[in-house]
Amino acid sequence: MNRLSSLFLSVAFLFLSAWLGFVVYSYLELGRMKPLEGSDGVLPPQLSGQAILGARVYAANGCVTCHSQQVRQTSVTHSDIERNWGKRPSVARDYLRDQTAFLGMMRIGPDLSNVGVRLSNPRWHYQHLYEPATVVAGSTMPSYRYLFRLQKIQGQPSAEAISLVGNHAPQEGYEVVPTQEAKNLVAYLLSLQHDYTLPEVSPENASTH
Amino acid sequence: MNQDSMLSQAQAMSNLYEPAPLHTVMRSEIDSSLRLPLLLLVRTSTFWLVMGSFLALLSAVKLVIPSFLDGISLFTYGRIFPVACDLLVYGWATPAGLAISLWFMARLCGTRLHYTKVLVSAALLWNAGIFLSSLALLCGYSTSVELLEYPAWGSFLLFIAFLLMGIWVILLFATRQPRSLYLSQWYFLTAICSFPWAYATANMLLVWGHIQGSAQGPIHFWYISNLFGLWITPLALGMAFYLIPKITGASINSYYLGIVGFFSLLLFAAWSGMTFLLGGPVPAWMVSASIVATTLLALPMAALLVNFFKMLQGKETMLVKSPVLRFTYVGILFFIISMVLVMIHAIPCFNAILHFTDYTAGLLVSLLIGFFGMTLFGALYYIMPRLTGVAWFSTQLILRHFWMITVGVGLMVFSSLLGGMVEGIALNDPVIAFINVLSYAAPWRWLMVIAWLLIFLGSISFIRLLILMRWQMIEESIPLVSCSTASNS
Ligand code: HEC
Repeated sequence: MNRLSSLFLSVAFLFLSAWLGFVVYSYLELGRMKPLEGSDGVLPPQLSGQAILGARVYAANGCVTCHSQQVRQTSVTHSDIERNWGKRPSVARDYLRDQTAFLGMMRIGPDLSNVGVRLSNPRWHYQHLYEPATVVAGSTMPSYRYLFRLQKIQGQPSAEAISLVGNHAPQEGYEVVPTQEAKNLVAYLLSLQHDYTLPEVSPENASTH
Repeated sequence: MNQDSMLSQAQAMSNLYEPAPLHTVMRSEIDSSLRLPLLLLVRTSTFWLVMGSFLALLSAVKLVIPSFLDGISLFTYGRIFPVACDLLVYGWATPAGLAISLWFMARLCGTRLHYTKVLVSAALLWNAGIFLSSLALLCGYSTSVELLEYPAWGSFLLFIAFLLMGIWVILLFATRQPRSLYLSQWYFLTAICSFPWAYATANMLLVWGHIQGSAQGPIHFWYISNLFGLWITPLALGMAFYLIPKITGASINSYYLGIVGFFSLLLFAAWSGMTFLLGGPVPAWMVSASIVATTLLALPMAALLVNFFKMLQGKETMLVKSPVLRFTYVGILFFIISMVLVMIHAIPCFNAILHFTDYTAGLLVSLLIGFFGMTLFGALYYIMPRLTGVAWFSTQLILRHFWMITVGVGLMVFSSLLGGMVEGIALNDPVIAFINVLSYAAPWRWLMVIAWLLIFLGSISFIRLLILMRWQMIEESIPLVSCSTASNS
């Protein structure tokens, strides 16, 4: 073996050490993690079909650029839990059902891992997505009104119509209703409830290994 | 491998001190063989730099004035911001870095390029991939995996195009004249080999196929650390090690430190990614390994800096005269800043405050535009006149370009460091309601708007210089493809 190839072998060795450690280990260990059979059903719970479609809407609109989905461990910071973003830190098993784990790198908005627990009313979410500042004064979240449809009121107003006042209100005889995409997205947001107990972590014993 | 054997091995096989000179004939032959593909790559990538920094500016504005262009799916923050990041990384940095490493590699190896057409087609394919994927993101076909947002067909196209381009760096090396092996070549080869490997691995597990969600985090952040640590960084270091000796005439001061710097950077950068998941849902040992690796990055940093600053010793006045040197050393300055920011970010008690704030964004901008970008511009100021045979049109514009980008990135670092701290401290105090955290962040985000504006204007100055150069080429009727290339390709 000449010297040039031993140089390349050492380069490859250094590079591949991390590849083996991070990628292959994750693939073999975390990638084969199984759901658990608890007394109250399988954990983490199955996602509904609508929530799965909603996760795609979440991806398409880049909510992850502003919202993380991970509650950090108490050994690092207590503030995530004290902010009521979750009762316990997130663990790998929480993401078992996700096609894409939206862990996130930025918190321009609050963490959403447990948004379905603290905000469980779909009407709140519709209104918030349509025009965030009407629900949360001072919000800088963008409006997602393109996920809604303006339609003429036919007879009875639709039960799904969102209530809007002031200059956001539609013209007389019209109403604003969520599109299927918005409904899927809200179903996904409501499904974000990682408040069950797993053997590796429980709310009482929040500081995990 | 122990260091002694590494050292003796390197001594025997290579002249690490300085890039060896070339015959004039050889030089012009190499340049004409590379002219068409390199100009294509440089021009298109600069175009994407302008587009990317414009979209970054737009998204920075949207953060402070949410009603600006609001409620339109094509321009929503969550779509244009990823498009901007991807344009900067894959539209600009990647092909530009590749073009530079091709040219340096050809010069260092004393070989010319054959089959120009393959490289040109691959470059066109790459740009088509960037254009179509960006449109797809705007229309909502994003994977929402940061820095891997492109849909599966887009990233596959890019992967193929990259292989078709990168292979020439390796072929140039394989057919090299029996010459010394210089440190820059090590860096370029490492970068060219590790990027496609990392890109394919990450896409295979996160985009083309989907590994179970529980395993995605570590793989994703391993990829991001590889992208910056083993692609962007080695490219810029390879350029710096070529340019500085060429301009100052000094040779590398200590090749022992050169080797230590090279191998330790490789090892520690590869292991550094999990600090972005500190406290997150990953095995604790991974995070610990990354904290250690990131801290130890101080070692390659020190080793590299000794060489960089020894080469400048006694020649500081050249910084004023030579734009190439000035850009390169400001790049190195941002290298120091980025490394320090990365190391602070890895300390758990600081990470708890700084992560998830604008600090993280500032860190990546400092590395990508401050360090890589400035070094790249230095290299382009050196290469382009040699490649085209036309001098730069205006020192005024060069100066403007220099100051706009330097001040822009400097302001970005300043505001994201202080703003990130303020934001992070507010976020860590649960008494402060989230909505009030926003008002702590707002003034700093205004500064970031100004920073992006400067970076955008600086890129405009540079593209103007390239356009002026093109006009000059037309006036002097310098052919894009010289006769010898045309007959050979
Ligand atoms: C530009 C950044 C940004 C983007 C993009 C963004 N948000 Fe937000 N989000 C915020 C901010 C800031 C807040 C806090 C103010 C508020 O509640 O409106 C917030 C709050 C929220 C809340 C309320 C959370 C709570 O605990 O009060 C939900 C739910 C939410 N966002 C969902 C979404 C969804 C779904 C998307 C994607 C369609 C999205 N956000 C995209 C910035 C953003």
